[in-house]
Amino acid sequence: MISDFKLNSEIKGNMLIISTEGYINNNGGQKIADEFYSKKTNDIKKVILNLEKTKVVNSIGISFLIELIEKLNESNGKLVFTNLDASIDKTFTIMGLYHFAEKTDTVEQALGAG
Amino acid sequence: MASAELNLLVDKLNLQVKSFQEGFEVLSNSKNLTDLARNFSHILRGNLLSINVNIFYKEQSEKDWRALYLHNKEAIKFTYELKPENILKINFLTDNNYKVAITLPMINSSYFGLLIGQKIDKKEYSSFDRVSIQIFLQLLDNAYQAYLNNKKEKELIFSLNNRVLQLNSLIDTGIELSALDKTESLLELALERAVVLTNASAGCITVYENDNIIKYLSFPPGIEENDLKESTNKLNTEFSLLGKTYKFILIEKESRAGVIEFDDTDKILLEAFARQLESAIENEHLHKEALEKENIKKELSVASDIQKKIIPEKLPEIDGYDLAGINIPSKEVGGDYYDCIELNDGRYALIMADVAGKGVPAALLVSTLNASLKSYLDLQIPLDKLAQKINSIIYNASPSNKFITFFIAVLNPKNGELDIINAGHNPALLLRNNGVLQKINAGGVALGMFNMGLPFVGEKITLNSADRLLLFTDGIPEAMNENEEEYSDERLEEFIEKYQFPKSSELIDALVHDVKSHTRECPQSDDITALYLIKH
Repeated sequence: MISDFKLNSEIKGNMLIISTEGYINNNGGQKIADEFYSKKTNDIKKVILNLEKTKVVNSIGISFLIELIEKLNESNGKLVFTNLDASIDKTFTIMGLYHFAEKTDTVEQALGAG
Repeated sequence: MASAELNLLVDKLNLQVKSFQEGFEVLSNSKNLTDLARNFSHILRGNLLSINVNIFYKEQSEKDWRALYLHNKEAIKFTYELKPENILKINFLTDNNYKVAITLPMINSSYFGLLIGQKIDKKEYSSFDRVSIQIFLQLLDNAYQAYLNNKKEKELIFSLNNRVLQLNSLIDTGIELSALDKTESLLELALERAVVLTNASAGCITVYENDNIIKYLSFPPGIEENDLKESTNKLNTEFSLLGKTYKFILIEKESRAGVIEFDDTDKILLEAFARQLESAIENEHLHKEALEKENIKKELSVASDIQKKIIPEKLPEIDGYDLAGINIPSKEVGGDYYDCIELNDGRYALIMADVAGKGVPAALLVSTLNASLKSYLDLQIPLDKLAQKINSIIYNASPSNKFITFFIAVLNPKNGELDIINAGHNPALLLRNNGVLQKINAGGVALGMFNMGLPFVGEKITLNSADRLLLFTDGIPEAMNENEEEYSDERLEEFIEKYQFPKSSELIDALVHDVKSHTRECPQSDDITALYLIKH
């Protein structure tokens, strides 16, 4: 599959920050999930997904994000979205993601959020 | 059966019933398949008092067993004891570590496999245990169906939400497209939305004009058109508008299981985006056209105002002469100009000019000419020098494609002497009182064309009583009818020779009438301007 997706990540304490760039489709969603599972998932209580450089997410990408939310919720962890483009924010609202995940304006706010 | 034994059995059964109820509740709340297996393993182990209970899963009969929950990692070596069939198989084994091997077919053609070790007390599994196993397996079957229903419900909600998202995006995109005013942005937005909402992995729009590619865009950016064209999994649509053809290609519809075929909904969505784009481009074009028309209208209005201020409302009355003039601007507002300026020495300057071009630039140049003439005429410098000065002013004030054809005749009303310069203008027509028609060509090149000091050669003539002089612009001889036939210099000359009205204004009116009778319904393409002088 053709993809322009890239990501990088860093761990701060029990928080994993994943910053994405490009279209979150099947490939992008898989890479985010792989990045999460490559860490010691039981130790991670919060995943911060920084979408500053991502402008579009398709429904396959969203299905990966829902899985990530479910996985985190099983271990009382949570997913926080940050730097959301307005159209992605609306997409996540319609798809019901904010019932189980949070959003903040910036990574710093996400790091500080309870 | 003894009463004590019976009571024990009843207690045991009551305990089992309670365990079933609690077990079902626990299993029903399982978060996923692994969770379900782990919970079932605990329930079974607790009720049978087994050393270990290992649970496997097979998606389809031809696939391998996958361990869902293992008490003992070695158990995976014994999956050969699990034989998937269409009916429940419970085998009680005697010759290995595992005493019970169960294969349970499920509703969706998958299988659960269980390998149960020996009991803690190392006794054989009793008849009661065997019945309990059957009941617990029924419990697992029910819980699995509940799990599947729950999963289907989630998928259905996801699918419904996705449909709402598609509909919402379609509406939003229509609104956003209508707010954009650059074709490139329109193409980018429509393509991006079409790719994302159909779950395509990529797409492109190619715009053709006369079979040549004039625009190409891809999403994600940077993908070659050939890479997309070569894909075997694609969806196309196209439309043509204003001489251009817009072709969409989307490729590789994504799913969690890999690339799948685009469906009818994807086709409908793509065509809807294409229609929205078509409508937005058409609206953008109409908007630009309306703006251009509005700008032209404003420019013409400004030009018309300038021209109205320069063209004299009333000509001076010259003792012993009758003078009349007319200017009928064309729809596009030309650059014609005529005037009669009284000089401070009692002479009169009759002026006729025509600026190449139309609109505000032409009107401004006429304005410059008018101002220059008014400044220099009273200085009483020779006409050839005056023409050179004004030529220099016009040359410096105008772009290279703008110039003015110019005719000036300074009349001394006392003796009828006319001092004339014709700078590239139509020759004036002088009808002598004996019926002889003369053309006055004297002069040089049009004003503003060159600034090389080229001479303007003047001419002097004297008007006699009943002589008549017509100055005019090319709007008269070049007035065209529907057959593209000009009114012509010949017809004008014939008219001047033929009609000798006593009043100048009557001649002017009759001339305009004659020109209009030639052009009929054809719109006037240039200004009609004339100045007619009769010496009494």
